Amino acid sequence: MSKWIVAGIAVACVASAVPLAAEPAVGTAVPNFRAYDMHGKIVDLSQFRGKTVVLEWNNPGCPFVKKHYESGNMQKTQAAAVAQGAVWLTINSGAPGKQGHMNGPEAQQFVAAQGAKPSAYLLDPQGLVGKGYGAKTTPHLYIIDGKGRLAYNGAIDDKPTADKADIATARNHVLAALGELRAGKPVSVAQSRPYGCTVKYAS
Amino acid sequence: MAWIRFVLMSLALLFAAGAASAQDGVQNRGPHVRIELIAESERPAPGSEITLAFASTPEPGWHAYWENPGDAGLPAKAAWTLPPGAGAGPLRYPVPHRLIIAGLMNYVYEAPFAPLVTLKVPADARLGDALPVRVKLDYLVCTDEICVPEKAELATRLTIGDGAVPADRRSRFDTWRTALPRPLGTPAKYQVDGKTFRLEIPFPAAATLSGEGYFFPLTDGAIDYAAPQRVVRDGDRIVVEAPSKRALPKVEGLLAFGSQGFLLSAAPGTVAAASAGAAPAGWITTALLAFLGAVAGGVILNIMPCVFPILSLKALSLVKAGDEAGNPRGEALAYTAGVVLTCLVLGGILLGLRAGGAAVGWAFQLQDPRVILFLLLLASAIALNLAGLFEIPAPAFANRAAARGQGGAFLTGALAAFVATPCAGPFMGAALGTALILPWPAALAVFGGLGLGIALPFLLLGFVPALRRRLPRPGAWMATLRRILSIPMFLTALALAWVLGRQAGVDGMALGLGAALLAAFGFWWAGRRQARGASHAWLPALPLLLLALAAAALVRPAPVGAERPAVAGAEPFSEVRLAELRAAGRPVFAYFTADWCLTCKVNEKGAIETEAVADAFAKGKVAVLVGDWTNGDPALGRFIERHNRAGVPLYLWYKPGSAEPEVLPQILTQAMLRNLSSGG
Repeated sequence: MSKWIVAGIAVACVASAVPLAAEPAVGTAVPNFRAYDMHGKIVDLSQFRGKTVVLEWNNPGCPFVKKHYESGNMQKTQAAAVAQGAVWLTINSGAPGKQGHMNGPEAQQFVAAQGAKPSAYLLDPQGLVGKGYGAKTTPHLYIIDGKGRLAYNGAIDDKPTADKADIATARNHVLAALGELRAGKPVSVAQSRPYGCTVKYAS
Repeated sequence: MAWIRFVLMSLALLFAAGAASAQDGVQNRGPHVRIELIAESERPAPGSEITLAFASTPEPGWHAYWENPGDAGLPAKAAWTLPPGAGAGPLRYPVPHRLIIAGLMNYVYEAPFAPLVTLKVPADARLGDALPVRVKLDYLVCTDEICVPEKAELATRLTIGDGAVPADRRSRFDTWRTALPRPLGTPAKYQVDGKTFRLEIPFPAAATLSGEGYFFPLTDGAIDYAAPQRVVRDGDRIVVEAPSKRALPKVEGLLAFGSQGFLLSAAPGTVAAASAGAAPAGWITTALLAFLGAVAGGVILNIMPCVFPILSLKALSLVKAGDEAGNPRGEALAYTAGVVLTCLVLGGILLGLRAGGAAVGWAFQLQDPRVILFLLLLASAIALNLAGLFEIPAPAFANRAAARGQGGAFLTGALAAFVATPCAGPFMGAALGTALILPWPAALAVFGGLGLGIALPFLLLGFVPALRRRLPRPGAWMATLRRILSIPMFLTALALAWVLGRQAGVDGMALGLGAALLAAFGFWWAGRRQARGASHAWLPALPLLLLALAAAALVRPAPVGAERPAVAGAEPFSEVRLAELRAAGRPVFAYFTADWCLTCKVNEKGAIETEAVADAFAKGKVAVLVGDWTNGDPALGRFIERHNRAGVPLYLWYKPGSAEPEVLPQILTQAMLRNLSSGG
């Protein structure tokens, strides 16, 4: 387990090309990053150039994340995105010792137990990717278009509650934006206020 | 292991009743915020509005969120179940706190707090009817580590009655009410200038504020919450600068100073940078300009009545010394050192207080009536000395120092600087205001510059013999000049007595004048003994002087509002007095104001307190009631709430015979008030 932490930190220090706290604006080019995924493989954002990429910030202990996983809403959204040819990266920026932090095997168990469908689950224990994108809450979602520009930044939907019953009547901002991108239309809601727990960054 | 935990937890969730509060593993014993729904009156009158409170107590280590939670978190959501005809307003929150966790900003409450809600009672309700009030509250509560969404089902059962409020409950609600931010009636504006969001809030320069300023935005996405802000008072405005996020059509928020808060709404407009140190790189230029300004201001101070006599005496001593005798350069330097050092010490104290969070301005020492009293005695003593009533016996050590004239010159300089500060305000406002927001070394440079300016003419006299030769020769005329110079000093004393009267009321002024009289007797007595050549001429006069100084212990600032001039015949507002006046059939003009309300001050100066309006009021026998809401008096708050949600200014006109007052516009004109008072 400590091997994972050490490796994660090493990669974050050496490979990560994310400028600190440079939150990208919608419509502008996003910073690149490299991080270990839950299998110990290095994932480089630039390798997905030409594809739509969804970033999802995750903390399995956060009640708002549970709302969307236990109801199956997050998995459904992931599956729909991947089926459309998009890449879905779930990112955990929880610092070691804080709620929601996971190492590789723990993340694998989480993904398996939840039936989650991300293209990759990335570990960012130092919070470099999270701070580089200005990720504030779990969940917090970003969509990057094929040209590497930020197309959406915000919440998964428009019902900021921890109540599963609200999902049925909510507008899924991510699915809506992906659909609009595919149709070549401008994203109608390109920015919303993310809701949930604070990302448990290393202080 | 995580999946086992997950399965177990899911099973537990199926059985757990308060599912939402049971989601965080071990820490699921809720609620982490204890909330009680309390009505101010349990017997509300039909058609009235009463206040409900969500008295909330977070568990230690946990925090609940403000209306705008900041970078993460959620505000509370209330779903009301009310009988037909009843309605609940939005939650009104007290001023929140800032909590930065791992670089993310949270606007929270960590101590007991109480959001208030206005409940409208149905107009057709009959006495004795039950009025059930139910509310489902969804809110989020977090520690630094975890978050738990909680639900509270709260209810209270009211009975339609006479609207009576028990005294203990009223005082509890009044405490909560004073904690609410006050709506700033005057609109603010903002501008996005590159990456900077700049907000301008009209705020009278004279209104006092304490604590650090901070702008809590209610509108999301305008500024970067976690980034530091710069809050600057600049004349009649407050300017807030913060890193901008995106342009928005309107920005609402709460400007807080300590526990005081002001709600405001800002429209886009042009906002000039705060006059001082707009860009961090520019502060050296600003400091240099302020320094030069301070030097110039110091030079001007020399001709002020409070400094001129002292300076002239010193100049005369130089003349006496002549060119050869004495050491004019040394004296000039010593005098300069005295002035500059005193200015630096006063400036240092001021900066120390500023660092300590106290809201003080230059001449802060003049806000305390005891200091004014002391200065009054000092000015009287100097005036009497100039008038020739007595001579100052220099102590032995001072005499020795004064043999070369330098010790005496130093003390004179120190005295000149100390006495000069009352005069500094009007001339030096800008430079000193700058000094207060500059980094401390630059601020000290400004204070030093002020001292240098005061000392400059004397320095010139000391170093340029040609100038000294131009001074007239010593002679009998010097004694005459000295007597004449006592006149401005007496005037200074008079001005100080007036200031004392403003601060401490008639009693304080009488005390001060009495003390000055006592001191004068002492000086007179000592002077007579000096004239006779009696040894220890001062001994009998000393107790009198000490007694005069002791008066400083007795003088107290007058109660706030006592010196508010307003319109002749204006009385403090109270609902009882209003009812009396209306019963007597008199037209009543009731106005509500606060020191921090710029529109109020403009209306008072431009319309209400003008002679024309005062005459018209007198002719129409209009009674004027003034409500001062500066400190958020809860009784006034309740009244204002009933008539106008927007806070002050509020102007009400009660025509004899009509049931409801006419709410006048927020911008008053003399003509409007004259027309009203003539029955138009």
